[in-house]
This record gives sequence, structure tokens and C-alpha cells, in this order.
Amino acid sequence: MKKKYWSYVLLVLMLAISGALAGCAGKSASNNASSGSQGKENVAQELTYAMTSDVVGLSPILTNDSVSSTVIDQVYETLFVRDPETMEIKPHLAESYETPDDKTWVIKLRKGIKFHDGTDFNAEAVKYTFDKLRDPKTAAPRASLLEPVESVEVKDDYTVVIKTKYPYGPMLAALSHTNASIVSPTADQKQDLMKQPVGTGPFKFVEWVPGDHVTLEKNDDYWQGAPKLEKVTFKVVPEVTTAISMLQTGDVQFIDNIPAEQLSRIESMKNVQLIKKEGTPVYYLGFNMKKKPMNELAFRQAVSYAINKDEYIQQLKGLGVKSNSVIGPKVFGYDESSENVAYTYDPEKAKQLVEEHGYKGITIKMLVANTATHMKMAEIVQAQLKEVGINAEIESMEWGTFLDSARQGKYDITFLSWANLTADGSELFYPNFHSKNMGATNRIFYNNPTFDKLVEESRTAIDPEVRKQKLKEANEFLLKDAAVVVMNHGVVTAAVDQSVKGLEIDPTGQWSLYHVHRE
Amino acid sequence: MVGMIVRRFFQLILLLVGISFLVFTSMYIAPGDPATIIAGPTASQSDIEAIRKDLGLNDPFLVQYGRYINGVLHGDLGYSYQTKQPVWDAIMTRFPNTLKLAIASIIVAVIIGVVAGIISAIRQNSWFDVSSTVFALAGISIPNFWLGTVLILIFAVNLQLLPVGGLDQPFYTAEGLKQLVLPAITLGTGSAAMIARMSRSSMLEVIRADFIRTARAKGLRERTVIWVHALRNAMIPVITVIGLNFGFLLGGTIITEQVFAINGVGRLMVQAIAARDFPMVQGSVLLVATLFVLVNLIVDIIYTFIDPRISYD
Repeated sequence: MKKKYWSYVLLVLMLAISGALAGCAGKSASNNASSGSQGKENVAQELTYAMTSDVVGLSPILTNDSVSSTVIDQVYETLFVRDPETMEIKPHLAESYETPDDKTWVIKLRKGIKFHDGTDFNAEAVKYTFDKLRDPKTAAPRASLLEPVESVEVKDDYTVVIKTKYPYGPMLAALSHTNASIVSPTADQKQDLMKQPVGTGPFKFVEWVPGDHVTLEKNDDYWQGAPKLEKVTFKVVPEVTTAISMLQTGDVQFIDNIPAEQLSRIESMKNVQLIKKEGTPVYYLGFNMKKKPMNELAFRQAVSYAINKDEYIQQLKGLGVKSNSVIGPKVFGYDESSENVAYTYDPEKAKQLVEEHGYKGITIKMLVANTATHMKMAEIVQAQLKEVGINAEIESMEWGTFLDSARQGKYDITFLSWANLTADGSELFYPNFHSKNMGATNRIFYNNPTFDKLVEESRTAIDPEVRKQKLKEANEFLLKDAAVVVMNHGVVTAAVDQSVKGLEIDPTGQWSLYHVHRE
Repeated sequence: MVGMIVRRFFQLILLLVGISFLVFTSMYIAPGDPATIIAGPTASQSDIEAIRKDLGLNDPFLVQYGRYINGVLHGDLGYSYQTKQPVWDAIMTRFPNTLKLAIASIIVAVIIGVVAGIISAIRQNSWFDVSSTVFALAGISIPNFWLGTVLILIFAVNLQLLPVGGLDQPFYTAEGLKQLVLPAITLGTGSAAMIARMSRSSMLEVIRADFIRTARAKGLRERTVIWVHALRNAMIPVITVIGLNFGFLLGGTIITEQVFAINGVGRLMVQAIAARDFPMVQGSVLLVATLFVLVNLIVDIIYTFIDPRISYD
């Protein structure tokens, strides 16, 4: 009797569970069916993008991280933009510009553009934005972007005059940088743009649930015509494998920055399209120039000869471009003829230099940020150096500690990278290798007056041809001096649901959703 | 009892001041500078300096700590260095998710753990006992990120029964419950295993005790002997384990939150540590410590109900 009673209970429980499961399955199946049928008829013009971490904030003035800029780029706009195909800079919120002298930029603005709060975009807004970015009280993380600017003046409602302290060649590149996006002065005085952004872009801010998502909706009054997408959600999904699963089930339709080890999984997914494009980021091995023997050319040459980049790039499964030049093929100032200047893989020469200069058996400290890419790079280079008689001890640390240690020069060799968001060679060389930035962005403590002069000339010349020539000379100087060993140039990636059309990624890895729609 | 509770509250305040000092000191000593991280790798030295000044990071250690603890004593946990959000708001946005997940996981863990433990004890060395031991061993050994990923692949991607991640629907809706299933199982498995082992050994000890023999001799039904007399006595150490586990779960469960894209306190804390966001780290640690102490206090109170012989007076 007792047993019978229990078996009834068990039976009822099992029925309840299987019923619940069947209910779930039925519902989800019907969901799929409806989204499937929508595919052929009218797909909702909504898109969810999975981002690896939350945005820091939504003000272009107060943030300087790539995740925040993915949202900022849809809400705000810059005076100039770079054409993702030709890499030429063209006016955007600006209509035209002229340079009456080397230190003056007169910029005419487009008329009839309104911010999302209904106020006019005009010269006052540009002045307000740039003055706030430059004001030391703002403590803007990327105030240095407009460091060469002396003053911003309003000539009339739609003309601004920017005067620089010295002739500044990469001005337009700086003005096309996300951090130089124009904000609504009225909104900035009324509210916190970090939480409630107001720009002129194709999408308007709806809500930000910190740690979870940011939602944008289309700006019907956008000056180039309303975008096709009605609603865009930026969802925080920190784990890349989870983001890919969500892409597979259709919970998100767009992810980017795909790690090499996940490529095969994405390629095997039928509903997903993989986008790859040669990009502007550069990854390099840097020597600590303050220390011996790294400050000896022979040692740096030996290391350069010892490294077989092909072996590393192969591991990237197509997500790395081989180029010996520090300025990459997608960056302003690149010259193909500089490719042959670098010291490339030649283990015999490396061994010879090691023998001749008494480096055999030497042990050096290799500082590495503990990301998958950097660790892989470090392990391969460690093995290659060992073959020529140099022992490298890997010291890996998390990003924050790494940045600090590198800045303080607590290493012998290390791996660094630069996203090159301005896609301009001067803005790669000046922060990374100019002596003025030692201990900050010049983490290898490179200090060479000849090189400094070349970089300054490339920055202060206004004529693009002159700038190119100076950058080529600076690039070749750096390569001959073996100041760095370029490991690879980046490939920017994205994976989208096949219903997503019209997405274009910029070689800098940035993208706009303006032309995107779903079908 | 009231005396004990009041005493515990005073101890809690002292404990929190101690913890805040320890955390503040360790964050201060730890390598990595908040301003450098906020500014990002492309910022210049002057950009970094401006941020340091803005955040008051150039002040001496004691001035910084004094400023912080003064704020805390006035009920102000400060603002995040990174997002400039009030720390309290940032934590409270995420805490409901962590709480939901912790409760769901502990329910899973208690149901599986206690039932498996007791059956294993009363049927010692049976096939059930052996398989429950294997399950417990596996439950403790399998890393959460692996279990979570495998569950996602099976139930969300292939069978499409449950969502891949997120925890943004109210828990009382069908969607909300479905979102909880996989993370609760992932997280509850480890605790279930521990609770099962503890229930089993505790129960084995109790069913051999004299009073159980007496109860049987008295002619009580076996069910009453086990589920009423034995269970109640075997529960004390089990409740301790449940309490400890629940305390840990409330502290946020970094890996599970990461795998299932859950916006919880654990993830907030890890991000804050990576960004050297001192006020945010402090705030979350203080919350976790308070909850841990409170859960333990509740466990102590529960003891007195289960075993009237326990008294704190």
C-alpha cells in the first residue's frame, strides 16, 4: 500500500515535468517557426549586437574605450569621416574646409542639421565640444587628441576657425576620431551625457541598463534620411562562446572581434555570415631601450632575425596580415618599398650575431598581457629565441598591471599593439616612439633625435605628399634601427546573421549601422 | 537571543570597517593605476595626470581612505571611478539578479543534495548510494564554465528548449523561470554535491544513535523514524553547509554570470577589480561581507528552532 502511494506521487511528478518540458519545447518551436516565416515576409527591423563588456559611458568627451565608441559612433557624428574603402578623409558634418595658412583651419559646416534634442548643430556646438574636450578641468581621457589646437573660434553660425599652436598635418584625422564627435551643448548643460547622450547621429538613445544593455532607436529626422533599422540593442555578453551560441540561436544578430580559435565554429554555422577585412591595428615586439643589451643594435637585430613571423601568423588562421612595415598597408604613410628594409627571419645570421656579441645563454624578461593573442605570440617567440641561444622568461599579467609595468619599463622585451583609429602614421609614431611620450604611450622608451625630427616634420607638414615622404623616412629609420619587430597587422572581423544586410566594417574595426537593414 | 543578535550587529560594523581598510589597502598597494586604465592605452601623460587629479589619487593614502570611510559612515558609498555612477545604484541594479540566481541554485542544491544524501544513508552501499557518490564527486570536480557551456550547447543551441543566457525577465513569468534553469543547475550542482555528502554522513551517524533504536523499538513507522526523528537531528551540520553555500552564492558567481551573460554582482566586482575602480570594489565587497555575516546569523538562529537544546543566552 505504502509503495503504491509513492509510485503515484512519482508518476504525477514525472508527468508534470514532461508536460512542462513539452510546453517549453512547443513554445520555442512555434517561436522559431514564426521567425522563420518572417524571414520571407516582413522581418522586424531590429538588431541586437553582443558586446564583450558594458560601455563605460556614452559621452565622446569622457570615454576612450572601444566598447563605448561602438554605441557613441551611432549616436554622435564627427566633422570629418574616413572613407572605409579609399581611406580618404571627407567632410561629414563639415561641408568644406580651407587652410589659409599652415596654422589655420576654416571649416564650413552643413546647415539644417539638428541634435536629437531639437537644438541646432552649428559653430557654437563645435566650439563648445572642442573647448570642453581640451579643458583640463574636464579631465578628458583623450584630451591629447586636440593638444595642437590653440583656439576654436566662431566666425559665423556655420563657420568655425581652428588655430593650431604649430602646423598640424593630421588635423582632419584627429577631427574624424570618435572622441572629436560633436555633442549638443544644451543637452550637456542640462543632463549627464555619460548616461543620456545627445548627438546628431542616425540613432537616438532610448535606455541604458548598466551591465545589461543599451537600446537605441532610429532618428526619423536624420539629415541624410532615416536609417532602416527601427531599434538597435547592444547587449552585454562577456563570454565569446555564449555570444556565438546566441548568434546561432538568433538571440543576437551581430558580433565582432572574433578570436581565431572560434573561426571554424562560426564558419560551420549555416545562418551566419563571416566578414573579414584587412585592418589598421599593428602588433609588435618592443625592446626596452633604457636597458642593456636591448639598447644595442646588434641585439635587436639578432632578435629580429630570430623571429619567424610566418609561424605565428599561421596560428591566427587568416586573422593576421604579414607586413614588415611598422605603418601598416591600411594606414596613411604606408609605402610598399619599405617592406624590404626590415631584418627578416634568418636564424643563421641571428646565431652569428649572438655568438659574436656574447649574447649566448643570456636570459631576458618578456612581459606579456595575459590575453590569448599576446600569450600565443609570447610562447612562439620564446621558442624561436631559444633556438638562437637567447632565453626569454615569460612574465604574464592582467591588463591593468601590464599597462603599468610597461609604462614604468619593468621589462626587457614586451608585446604591444596600437589600434590606429586615426589610421594616420604620424598618430602612430608620435605617441608610440617620440621621446616626448616616454613613460606614457612610448612604452619602449625610444629616444632618438633624428627620428623625433622626422615625426615632427610629418605632423607639422600640411601637404599630404610631404607628410607621406616624411613618414616613409621615419618608418624606414625605425626598421633599420630594429626598434621594434612587427609581428602582424590586424584583420577586423564580424559575424552577422544572414538576415543582416548592408553592414560595412571600417579597417579600424569601427562600423556604422546607418545602412544596415534586415531581410 | 536578542542579546546575541545585537552583539552580532556590533561585531558586523567592526568587521566591515576592518574589511574596508584591508580592501582599500590591498587595492592601493596592488600594481595598476586607475587613471591609466580609465585613460586607455592611447592617452598621453597629461591626460592621465588630469584624471589622477580629478579623482584625488595624488592625495596620501590615509586622506583617501579617510574620505572614503567618512562617506560610508554617512551612507554614501561614493561614485565609480570609471562610469561616474553612484556605487550604490550600480550594485542595486545587479543585486536582484544575483539574489534570484542564488535562491534558485540553492533550491536546486537542497532538493537534490538532501534527498540524495538521505537515501544514500538509509540504503548505504546500494547502487543508489554508489551512483550518488559518483555524482557528488563529479559535481564537485566539474568546472562551472564547462558545465555551463555544455548545458547551453545541449539545451539552448541544439534542443532549443531554454534560452542561451540573460536574466532580464521577471522570475514569476515562464520566460523568467526558463532563464533561471540552466544557470541554477550549473551553479547548484557543486553545492548539491557538498550537501549530499554532508547529509549522508550526518544521517549515517544519527540513524545509529540510541534514540533511533528506541523509536523503532517503540514501534514507530520507519518513515516517521527517518523523516521526523533522524532528519531533524541530522540537519544541523547540513544547514551549516547550506548557509555557507548560500553566502558564497550571494557574493556573486563570477563564472556562471559570465557564461550566461547575467548582469550580477560577481561580474560587477571582477570588472571593477580589472579597472581598479576602488569605490566599486569596496562597495561590492562590503555588500558581500554584510550578506555573508547575515546569512550566518540566520543559520545560527535556525539552529535554535531545530534543536531547542541550543541556546545563546
